[in-house]
Amino acid sequence: MTSRSEALIELDGVRKSFGDTEVLKGISLNVGKGEAVCVIGPSGSGKSTILRTINGLLPVDEGFIRVGEHRVHELRSDREMRPLRRQVAMVFQQYNLFPHRTVLENVAMAPVQVLGHDPEEVRERAVRLLAKVHLDGKESRYPGELSGGQQQRVAIARALAMQPEVILFDEVTAALDPETVKGVLETIRELVVEGMTCVLVTHEMRFAREVSHRVCFTDHGRIVESAPPAELFDAPQDPRTREFLAQVL
Amino acid sequence: MVINPSYEQRKRLLLVGILLTVIALVLVDAARGGSAEWSRVIARLPLLLTGSAQGWPITGGFLLNVVMGIASMAIATAVGTLLGLSLLARRRLVRQPAFVVMNFLRNAPWLVVLFAMLYLLPYRLTLLGVTFEFSPLAKAIIGLSLPTAANFAEVIRGAVQSVHAGQWESARSLGYSTAQIYRRVILPQAFRRMIPGWMNLYALLMIATSLATVTGVQEVVTLLRTTLSMESETTLVYFYLAVLAMFFAYCYPIALLARRLENKTKGDSL
Repeated sequence: MTSRSEALIELDGVRKSFGDTEVLKGISLNVGKGEAVCVIGPSGSGKSTILRTINGLLPVDEGFIRVGEHRVHELRSDREMRPLRRQVAMVFQQYNLFPHRTVLENVAMAPVQVLGHDPEEVRERAVRLLAKVHLDGKESRYPGELSGGQQQRVAIARALAMQPEVILFDEVTAALDPETVKGVLETIRELVVEGMTCVLVTHEMRFAREVSHRVCFTDHGRIVESAPPAELFDAPQDPRTREFLAQVL
Repeated sequence: MVINPSYEQRKRLLLVGILLTVIALVLVDAARGGSAEWSRVIARLPLLLTGSAQGWPITGGFLLNVVMGIASMAIATAVGTLLGLSLLARRRLVRQPAFVVMNFLRNAPWLVVLFAMLYLLPYRLTLLGVTFEFSPLAKAIIGLSLPTAANFAEVIRGAVQSVHAGQWESARSLGYSTAQIYRRVILPQAFRRMIPGWMNLYALLMIATSLATVTGVQEVVTLLRTTLSMESETTLVYFYLAVLAMFFAYCYPIALLARRLENKTKGDSL
């Protein structure tokens, strides 16, 4: 457990409703620098919503969110969110690459167009990152020409190119064919080992167990239980956690 | 011999069948004395196409329809883009008036809009010391461009909204501003999807230029009616068929190309 003051990400009493449905009913969560936290739980329990509140894609109704020095709940416009977003990158279930740009452009465009980095330097960085996710040689392909797993690794390279301090992974293997899942998980594992702070929403229980420092189980908009993976998977305290694990394991 | 023809094959067979039937009918008719009528049509063809009996200079005819179509489309594209982007504006004050204008123009009969322009636009208008003259031709072009612009605005809105919502999410999470997202991510993708709709609209507009005859410009239908007053009644149908063929020959390839492009862009939604 990380103490509150030294946590890189801090959520406290976060509430969020869509219309009449309250999706988050008071989420509190701390993530330390270099920590990998997995969020698991049944669908509709608010896992993806938690991620989207951290980088301000979804405004919250109530509560406190801090990432580094940014008080996310106080930011109102995309312009105000910009410094936050250069610190927090996100990888999506549907990859969401830009289909009209090549793989290399997908990785390199935001650092140049948003951060204003030198195009030549960003190009080198992008080539290096694509090699890191084992996609060297695919630079001039278009996303549509790649498999799902390859596209997802491009998305990870695109996130890394922003040189973030945190990466949020939103069920990144849920839309993939089983045989391509492994490569993506391998890439994420490497990032965790290198000390990147990661918050992962996932259905891959085995992966969650191996890679994360801490696992949070969510149900009905609340974090029911939060513990190191060995503890949570082998000796779950809450009956709801036990029930869920019995279903998925 | 195709035992179990697919939908595409049956469609092609039907089209070839129709074409052959039309050619056969024309040939049979020509053999039964229609050729004399057709030669009268051919003699008038330069007039119908260019507005002068020798084929030069171009003063009207079908080529004037082409010019009207292109001019109207240019105006409609500019106005429609503005209108379409207003439809997408986040501010209500911009969006709602645009919505009202678009729906009004889109649901007005083109002929009524043309008549309205004819009587609403003055012959001459002085604005800030510049005098605009509204010839019947200018009125026709403006009248035709208005409903086209409204339809094009809808094409733009549809294309922009058809871009997957995930594109917005990922661009925002990369720190792009709304204006940048439109410019770098959404519009380049939407643009490809607009082109078929834009071409279809142009084909429709080209057909609608024949309505401009009510403004009295010397386009092909106006010339046709003046010509016919000097021809016998039996020749009438041959002349109308000839003009029909002109519009068909011009518009059908455009519609065909538009459909082909549409099928090509269908796959790249995600």
